Amino acid sequence: MNAITLNNVDVYLSGSHVLQNVSFEVPSNKVTALLGRNGVGKTTTLRAIMGLIPSTGTISLFDKPIHGMPTYKIAHSGIGYVPEDREIFSTLSVAENLSLAVRDENPNYDLVYKLFPELLQRASQRAGTLSGGQQQMVAIARSLLNKNQIILIDEPTKGLAPKLVGEVAEALTHVANETTMLLVEQNLALVRSVAEHIIVMSQGSVVFQGDPSNLQNDEFVHSMLGVSGGLH
Amino acid sequence: MLRWKYSRPLLGILILILAIGPMLSFGMLKEPGIQQTLAVAFLYGALALTYDMLFGFTGLLSFGHALFFASGAYVTAILIDSYKWPWYIAIPTSIATSAILAVLVGSASLRTKGITFAMVTLAFGEAGHVVISRNFGNLTNGENGLPINADRVPGIFIGVINTKYLFWLALAVLIFVYAAIWWVTQSSAGRVFSALRDNEVRTSVLGLNPNRYKLLSFVIAGTLASVIGSAMLLVSGNAAPRYATADTTIALLLMVILGGSGTRWGAALGGILYSIASTRLQDLNQGKALASLPKIISGPLSEPAFILGLLFIFIVMFAPGGLSGAYYRIRLRFLQRKGEKTASIPV
Amino acid sequence: MDTFVLIAITGIGLGALFFLVASGLSLIYGLMGVLNFAHGTFLTVGAFAGLWISTQVFTISNTWTFVGAMLFGGLAGGVFALLVERLVITRLYERHIEQALVTVGVALVVGAMLSGWFGNDPRLLPTPHWFINTVTIGKAFVPVDRFLYIGASLVLLIVLTSILRFTRIGLIIRAGVENRSMVGALGINVRLAFSAVFFLGGFAAGLGGVLVAAYQSGVTPLMSGSWLIYGFVVVVVGGMGSLGGSALAALLIGVVNQFTNYYFPGVGDFVIVFLLAAVLLTRPQGLLGKVGR
Repeated sequence: MNAITLNNVDVYLSGSHVLQNVSFEVPSNKVTALLGRNGVGKTTTLRAIMGLIPSTGTISLFDKPIHGMPTYKIAHSGIGYVPEDREIFSTLSVAENLSLAVRDENPNYDLVYKLFPELLQRASQRAGTLSGGQQQMVAIARSLLNKNQIILIDEPTKGLAPKLVGEVAEALTHVANETTMLLVEQNLALVRSVAEHIIVMSQGSVVFQGDPSNLQNDEFVHSMLGVSGGLH
Repeated sequence: MLRWKYSRPLLGILILILAIGPMLSFGMLKEPGIQQTLAVAFLYGALALTYDMLFGFTGLLSFGHALFFASGAYVTAILIDSYKWPWYIAIPTSIATSAILAVLVGSASLRTKGITFAMVTLAFGEAGHVVISRNFGNLTNGENGLPINADRVPGIFIGVINTKYLFWLALAVLIFVYAAIWWVTQSSAGRVFSALRDNEVRTSVLGLNPNRYKLLSFVIAGTLASVIGSAMLLVSGNAAPRYATADTTIALLLMVILGGSGTRWGAALGGILYSIASTRLQDLNQGKALASLPKIISGPLSEPAFILGLLFIFIVMFAPGGLSGAYYRIRLRFLQRKGEKTASIPV
Repeated sequence: MDTFVLIAITGIGLGALFFLVASGLSLIYGLMGVLNFAHGTFLTVGAFAGLWISTQVFTISNTWTFVGAMLFGGLAGGVFALLVERLVITRLYERHIEQALVTVGVALVVGAMLSGWFGNDPRLLPTPHWFINTVTIGKAFVPVDRFLYIGASLVLLIVLTSILRFTRIGLIIRAGVENRSMVGALGINVRLAFSAVFFLGGFAAGLGGVLVAAYQSGVTPLMSGSWLIYGFVVVVVGGMGSLGGSALAALLIGVVNQFTNYYFPGVGDFVIVFLLAAVLLTRPQGLLGKVGR
């Protein structure tokens, strides 16, 4: 069963054709990595799924169409979203950031505080004063409070210090066991360790879908992602 | 844009009728009252054109444009009345002063953008209104306005019998402003204005300084507005404090939206019709037409702002592009039926 | 010294009235990016509603009927604002310039309707007899109504702040002011917050309308003109979207205005405009505004 299915999705942003006929499936209960060089439309794809930008084509969640619905309804149908720049509310406290995200009657605070005990200690701190890594924890925590059918995570390790990358990666590995995930990530090591399915995009189109073992092949990595594969 | 090849003969005939109408006692155009109404309407049409260049072409939502209209009228009136300057020196001096004022206000306000720019210009406009209505330095005669001294103005502009000359003056100003705005917006600078309106970031990436072009647009529009202000002084015989109010700028905004922004002729038409409508609808109030209706309906209907406001809301919500937009849509449909492939909606 | 006290308290009272107008403008702009030219209309509608209930329903005039008129005016302003939001503003979702334009239209139409029905002559709003009393502070005789304006604004500031701080809808509003689309992406219908903000802003303005009518001793369709402009100035100086900033700026502007007008009659408005220009040019986000909006 596929958690998310995109069919012939096109997006135009201020005159340019950003997504061209994008179709892919995100299998359920797996971590799918959405890969590609900078600017190929990965973030745009996630934003289109969330209904944050207008698109054409069809998008469905477990075969239920969500395309064209207002963003809040899309989120309500069970999608957690961790955006590229975290987009936490910097004027609100950590606790307020979390409680804002709560949709379920019994939010899973236990999981959040188990993964990120720091957030409990800093509950009353203004989120804007947190470090980048802590802000990322808040952003991920928001998506874990509710029982989501899938979580979309956009570059969670972007701009983080190496030590924090490890921490976030550990949390993600843990989360990966609990839920379906669509992950956009540039850190190849992290992708190799968690991805169970990969989708590669190039210039607004999907160019590969399949087995993550390809990522062990340097030639594949070089031609698809434009980075040398020497990250083992 | 209105296709030149279709509209030129039409426009020529229209201008000819307007130009010789008063002389030949052509229909209603022989009545001084109508001539006066039309003269005022032409000037508002011209003023709306200058606002269209700011808002429609450059995308600057200024709420202080009336300031330059008022300064054109007031500086001329003060120089003529208080300093006894001859009109032919006073008017150019007034226009030059307004241009400098526009440079100052523009360079300060343009440090902000978007809605904040709207607020700053609103504040500068209000400051101008305060200066005028409080009669600082005993120059502006406060709330009563400043009537022009009839002895110091060419005789042909004075007296009811000479209203036709005011009519021609206003028509000439409208044509002049139209030509000036046409020239500016067609020039390379004018194309930068539109590029700024559509996408400022992209324009600055091209290496053009957005603020320099915005200031250019602001100053040209302000200077032309002061020309119209000086003409309005002659046409209405009086510089009024309301020229400087935010309400005047809001009226300009209404005119441009009613006519359709960014098309020039739409704004001019919007200004002319708005001006005529607000005078004629006022007369409706005095007339008996509404007397038979119950007060709950006749009350609002007797207020020009009611009908114009409703029309305005309707256009903003359901008919963007205003009168000119509607014209282009109809023409497009007509041309499509004829099979002309090149038909397109401008802007 | 006594003149100083009198002018200071009058200035604070004036600032309190500015705050009533500005609080809603600020929230509406902060959350929705709408420059609301119809806000003055909310004030006028509130004043007419207060006038109606004071003259047509209440047969006497005392402290309680006046409080009743204030609340009724606030309610009328709030409901009217809600109608404007539902019927007009939401249909132009995310089109900020058009939204600002359409509020100009609403202000024109409603102003014209009220003029057409009631004429433009001021109608006296009944006030409790103690309104004309003065209180002696030091040697200054301070008109007692000033304290009512200050008190009412303080209560409103506390109520609004509490709503923003302690309720779910307040949390959504605060988050929405910062980043509206992310609130939606968390599964929250931001439009409910829009309606709430319009109601609260309309309530404050409507209540302010009754007080302005008492202060200027009259209700007219034209009464809101300069108050709206002052409201804008307060919002910009204080920082769009910041309630505390609006309160601070309203106080500052009220006091500066009164003192300038006392020492240099007629110059008050002028100084305010320069204050605005100075703030904008040195600190474009306003006193307590956030950068990057």
